[in-house]
Amino acid sequence: MSRAGRTSLRALGGALLAVLLFAATAPGQTAAPVAAQSPKHLVWDGNRTIPVHLIPLRDENDELIVPTETDPWPYSARFTCGPCHDYATIGSGWHFGAMTAANNGRPGEPWIWSDTKTGTVLPLSYRAWPGSYAPEALGLTTWDFTLLFGRHMPGGGPAEPSDEEVLAHPEARWSVSGKAEVNCLACHNRSARQDPSEWAKQVLRENLRWAATAAGGVGEVGGMASRLKETWDITDGPNIDDHLWAVAPSVKYRTVDFDSKHRYFFDLNYQPADDRCLACHSVSPKDEVQWNADADVHAAAGLKCADCHRNDLGHAMVRGYEREAAETGNRSAESFTCRGCHLGENAAGEKTVVPGRLGAPYPKHTGIPLVHFKRLACTVCHSGPKPKDGFTRVRTSRANRLGIYGVATWSTDLPAVFEPVYKKDDRHRITPHRLVWPAFWAKRAGKTLTPLLPEVVEAAAGDILEPEERISLTLVALSQVMAEDEVPVLVSGKSVFAPNVDGGIDATEEAGAAADRPAFWGIRKGTDILQLVGDFDPAAEDKDPAVETRIQEFLQALGTVAVRPGEPAILVRKTLYRFVGGYLDISEAPAELAGAAGPGWLADGKLLPLVPEFDVRTVAAKAGTEQTLTEEQVGLVLEALAETSGDAEVVYVSGGRMFRRAKDGSLISDDHAAAAPVTWPLAHNVRPAQQSLGWKGCTDCHSGGSNFFFSQLKATGPLLTKKVDKLSAASFMGLGGLFQRAFGLSFIVRPVFKVVLAICALVAGALVFLAGLVALGRVAGFLDQR
Amino acid sequence: MVFTIVTILVLGGAFLGLALHRFWTTREEAKSTILYAEIMKKYVAWLALRTIQMSRKASPPAWWEYVKALPMWRAALLEKWLYICFYGSFLYLAASGFFFAVFIPRGLFGYPLVGHVMAGGLFAVCLVIVVLFKGRDFISVPKPAHLSLSLLDPRKMGITPARVKLWAFWLFVLAGFLLTLSALLPMLPLLRTGGQRFMFEFHRYSALSSALAAMVFAGLELFASLRTAAPPGGEGSPGGI
Repeated sequence: MSRAGRTSLRALGGALLAVLLFAATAPGQTAAPVAAQSPKHLVWDGNRTIPVHLIPLRDENDELIVPTETDPWPYSARFTCGPCHDYATIGSGWHFGAMTAANNGRPGEPWIWSDTKTGTVLPLSYRAWPGSYAPEALGLTTWDFTLLFGRHMPGGGPAEPSDEEVLAHPEARWSVSGKAEVNCLACHNRSARQDPSEWAKQVLRENLRWAATAAGGVGEVGGMASRLKETWDITDGPNIDDHLWAVAPSVKYRTVDFDSKHRYFFDLNYQPADDRCLACHSVSPKDEVQWNADADVHAAAGLKCADCHRNDLGHAMVRGYEREAAETGNRSAESFTCRGCHLGENAAGEKTVVPGRLGAPYPKHTGIPLVHFKRLACTVCHSGPKPKDGFTRVRTSRANRLGIYGVATWSTDLPAVFEPVYKKDDRHRITPHRLVWPAFWAKRAGKTLTPLLPEVVEAAAGDILEPEERISLTLVALSQVMAEDEVPVLVSGKSVFAPNVDGGIDATEEAGAAADRPAFWGIRKGTDILQLVGDFDPAAEDKDPAVETRIQEFLQALGTVAVRPGEPAILVRKTLYRFVGGYLDISEAPAELAGAAGPGWLADGKLLPLVPEFDVRTVAAKAGTEQTLTEEQVGLVLEALAETSGDAEVVYVSGGRMFRRAKDGSLISDDHAAAAPVTWPLAHNVRPAQQSLGWKGCTDCHSGGSNFFFSQLKATGPLLTKKVDKLSAASFMGLGGLFQRAFGLSFIVRPVFKVVLAICALVAGALVFLAGLVALGRVAGFLDQR
Repeated sequence: MVFTIVTILVLGGAFLGLALHRFWTTREEAKSTILYAEIMKKYVAWLALRTIQMSRKASPPAWWEYVKALPMWRAALLEKWLYICFYGSFLYLAASGFFFAVFIPRGLFGYPLVGHVMAGGLFAVCLVIVVLFKGRDFISVPKPAHLSLSLLDPRKMGITPARVKLWAFWLFVLAGFLLTLSALLPMLPLLRTGGQRFMFEFHRYSALSSALAAMVFAGLELFASLRTAAPPGGEGSPGGI
């Protein structure tokens, strides 16, 4: 059926449903939202209570939802919440309006597309922030963006594109998934049923229009839109052809939360609880244990995120930076900067703001020279982890997919985000930042790099990027015939590779093994590692008959590998074992196989290894590291991409360097602006005053080897190479390291200097006092008269 | 900005005042009329003429000759080094401090600041030694004052170049003391932001007072030494006025 036809049918169905509902229920409950634009709902009447939200749920066709009817639709925030809270106004807010915002605001954390297979770490943002790429410029549609990052999006914005956008990209599956409207419950739901993990799962299942219902605990959602044909429409209802796999999404509402008039009770907060914010805005040191993690000092004092990060119906959140009031015209934002709240100062340092909101204490800052307040943001001394050598590696909700819980592990270690990196902001004040090193493949035109999408790279690279997959497939195949206590492994040098539950391979190091040990396939049994097929004499009469049985099992298992270059065979000494016609075939190895041994693929009269030498070499090189690409792989992929890119040069960016392929095939690394780290200011967690920099004295920062100025940050990236940038903290600040070291060293003698100055001041003061007395006495004539 | 304006006015005023004093006491034409307007005209003309003459004579060799002729080189070893440190540190402090305060919006920073702090310590030590050993030379014995309208007459007030020099010396010492104090206190964990801000301004104005006192003292001292070396109305040092 055509889309127009479906729309007509939907309209007809909707009208019929409306008539039936009108007949079945009281008019007051199903009345059209006539109050949608009523100004009385936009104005607070002054009462500080929150109205009970016992309201009828409405679907995306603005029809009343009766939870007990067959196949009810998910509720729509636009039509359920919209009658009282103007949806369009809310939809332009900070969390939803990035695509249409006139003001980009201070840079924030970009969406980071991290793809380990292609070694991509690409910062994206619809806001024009330095270092971030516009998704549309890379060819990412709102559909792509939503599937990539919808897990941590609150709906609206890219997840709810305009009809024009939907029509412009027919390959997207909006008609199946629906749009993810602004999810009011994501922030305002007070119920403990609000489940960000459920939201993420629904988004990944492409159940976009159902996600809010499921995540809010309003109803239970089953089915997966991602498995349905692109012709399916919500008006089609359940998929009667498939009840197991391509099951259409459906809602089963929690009827206990409805009253007899089909009104649903929403347990809502006016100000979102911190948990709601932290679902998407958590940042934690990578290896910190939970019990040791401290909350922000404001939260510890009882403040909520929304106490400072306020907004009106427009949801233009107060972000709390000093330029914000001037940029947005929201003068009250001045009250919610550090300086505004604690000092009563605006961005220019004028005492024009009423300080002390919410009981903010006035800081003493005893003994801190004035220059610190001119050159440093408050957050330098008070926010983020204390500077340490190598910086602190953190994981953020959005970059590292935190806060999504289930059977699978969602969180990732990559991308590597570091803080606090102190660098100057656009007001030339040093401010702590978070940092990530971008990594991507790109076409180079002059000085401009245009990143390539991972799928483009993957298509061109073919199997160059898949050594882990090939090894994993082989190991998984072998594991079919392993005993319960046996694990098939590939051994190379000290590294032992075993399959994991995610279809990949895990590398462990075998203590005491030689680094140059030749690769072999084996079986791990307890702590022992045995050859897959140990050496024996096939011609011996007293050989163990179980050995040949085992060989047959291995050959059978290897025969299940989907992509194989030949038939599986195992060569032991001069005997060749094959599996032919359901039986083990034992024959004398042809002369051309002399020198070969072990399992392999028999093709063209040769015994090929189970996986190419390249694969073993590649995974062995990367074992025990976070890196996912070797220089050899990058060189090969660059060569492959060059073949598909015409005249454009293709490069790879990683670890702060740009890599290109020389004519002799080697990799050359260069500096390039696009390889520079992407940073964004951080503000939280704010530490208690006693943990602020300077509390223990000037030498917290000003010493010959202070971490504040001299800690080194080595660039990280997916490429395993020694050619990476290494930057000192001072260089991020744009300050001379030599001067800071000399200045820091001067603090060794500063105590003596202070004593000398004190003595000088004392003596000089005493002499001036004496001279003054003498002068006074003589002017008055006392001394002369005496 | 206020400090810049005050600095220019104070130092400019002191310079013009010292020049006027010299003009008044050495030039015949200053006494040729009793009309202040005429005197000022002649003063301006003389100042312009002297500026041109000085600019023609001033050169690095001439300056070097002038420096070599200073009496401090003939002092005893310790005393010589004391003066070198004292004058040197003061000149650097004044130059770096006022230059950055007036011309660099950011203020003093970087290596000049480190040098300023180091020179400040040296200056404070030298100042104390100079006052300890030379201070008594600057204790005058004025006549006891009597309350009378005649006190308004500068001559009867006893405002003579010698006395102004004494006052300049003690003003310099007082300013040095305040400079030391206002440099020391912000380094100690005593002052809050308001106190720090006050001390910062206090340090600057103490420095201005110190520079003013030094200028007056040096101007009068040099003029006095030139008067003994050259006939009235004659030309003095390449930079003298």
